[in-house]
Amino acid sequence: MGISKAAAIVGAAESIEIGYPEDPKTAIQLHMESIKAVSDQTGIPISDIDGVFSAGMSSEIAEHLGIHPRYIDTTQVGGCSFEMHVHHALAAIHAGIIDIALVTHGQNGWSQRRLKGGGGFRPGGNSPGMQMTSAYGLSGAPSNYSHAMTAHNHRFGTTPEDFAHIAVVTREWATLNPRAVMHSKETHEFGGPITIEDVQNARMISWPLTLLHCCLVTDHGGSVIVARPEIARSLKTNPVWIAGAGECMSHQNMLEMGDFTATSAHKSSQIAYEMAGMGPADMELALLYDSFTITAGITAEMVGLAPRGEGYKLWKDGHAAPGGRLPINTNGGGLSFNHSGMYGMQLLIEAYRQLSGTAEDGINGIAGKQTNARTCIVNGTGGSLSTTGTLILTSD
Amino acid sequence: MAYNKPIPTPTPLTQPFWDGTREGKLMLPRCTNCNRVHWYPRHLCPFCHSDKIEWIEGSGEGRLHTFAVQHRAFGGWAEEAPFVTAYIDLNEGDRMLTVLRGVDPTKPESIKIGCKVKVEFEEANDELSIPFFRVVEEGA
Ligand SMILES: [Zn+2]
Repeated sequence: MGISKAAAIVGAAESIEIGYPEDPKTAIQLHMESIKAVSDQTGIPISDIDGVFSAGMSSEIAEHLGIHPRYIDTTQVGGCSFEMHVHHALAAIHAGIIDIALVTHGQNGWSQRRLKGGGGFRPGGNSPGMQMTSAYGLSGAPSNYSHAMTAHNHRFGTTPEDFAHIAVVTREWATLNPRAVMHSKETHEFGGPITIEDVQNARMISWPLTLLHCCLVTDHGGSVIVARPEIARSLKTNPVWIAGAGECMSHQNMLEMGDFTATSAHKSSQIAYEMAGMGPADMELALLYDSFTITAGITAEMVGLAPRGEGYKLWKDGHAAPGGRLPINTNGGGLSFNHSGMYGMQLLIEAYRQLSGTAEDGINGIAGKQTNARTCIVNGTGGSLSTTGTLILTSD
Repeated sequence: MAYNKPIPTPTPLTQPFWDGTREGKLMLPRCTNCNRVHWYPRHLCPFCHSDKIEWIEGSGEGRLHTFAVQHRAFGGWAEEAPFVTAYIDLNEGDRMLTVLRGVDPTKPESIKIGCKVKVEFEEANDELSIPFFRVVEEGA
């Protein structure tokens, strides 16, 4: 069946008040009133929504609703965003990824001038979640993720030293990638190999995370092109096939992270494996978002590469290292290669280079380390261990 | 000394909570349909999606869920570093973020997950106070 008429709009409703409400309203309230109304109108329970489409606020909306959608589109390109959301929802439903898409809008052009703090549609903004967390001195990602390390240590009897192995092994990979910031003393004052003691004795940022448990802060630009098979086979480059893909989210604000030792990568990887007809045992390479050592360690558990509580052992026992049975983060990771704030593109580029056999051809003439992998799991983590996207990639 | 750390800006949804803090009360939103307390405040109950939500006075008591020690901070908090941030499981259900008092940030090993905590309030300005939690009993 073609994509035409593969989906229909089945209801449409507005917030209780529109125009010039007597009592000023926040954007999130306008969203919620209309979502409640369209749910009542159609008889579709809010808990049945499996895709959320909005201009810039999708994870906040899903979190406010307490739902964990498997398709999150927050395209924000101005007033036409919502027509695009319907287009994207049609594609997602046609592809069989979701059944029920919520396309939602809430904007308080009038009220925002009358509310302290505006209450507008900026992501985060003066949202209720932000109000209840902004007073407590947290300062960016490290100050949040450290709570997950404490929880993992408490629940599984692990230690920060266990996770330090992730930093040490990832640095070893960086020494094989001349484009890595921490490749060597030539690339950075503190570059080159490191030890567990180096990691644990580094400056404390947010206990139990020292500086070397945390990723770099760098610049990066990257792009990939995706094309249909006929085109892919006609090009001079080697194709890397998208065998599986999945996404999910558990929360936006860490306040709503039910289990601090688990992420939605469990669900997103399950969806991706199922689509690919493959499982964790079939993976020959893993590129796991390593904003912090704890991120990579938990993700290895969530995507089924290690039992719960034992993800760090992949690094500690040398499996993830050069020459190991399951290379992980072969570019040197966000920890030692490059991390610009959003590291997902770096993961994609390394996955392409490894699976297309071009790692040694290098970028701008600088060669990297080639593995023999023909299958790869890529897992990106966003926010505060909030959102995850998994890809299963294969080569011919 | 004047309160020199970030002060939240109430919105209509959250105003009852901040009003409560001024009187030393930890007000919590509870759904009248499923009777569950949720945190942070919502327009729709995150458990059953009812829009019938009332405010109740909470006990202000809970237990430590997890924590970290912040060695790097900005603004007024920079002067207090290192300090302990913590997530608290409230007796009424759901979880709050706080800065934990009554603990030694230089000895994180001495802080016990599961220990009992109780709320206290610090006046931030004429309009609201900020809730903090203090360890009241070594536990778990
Ligand atoms: Zn409810």
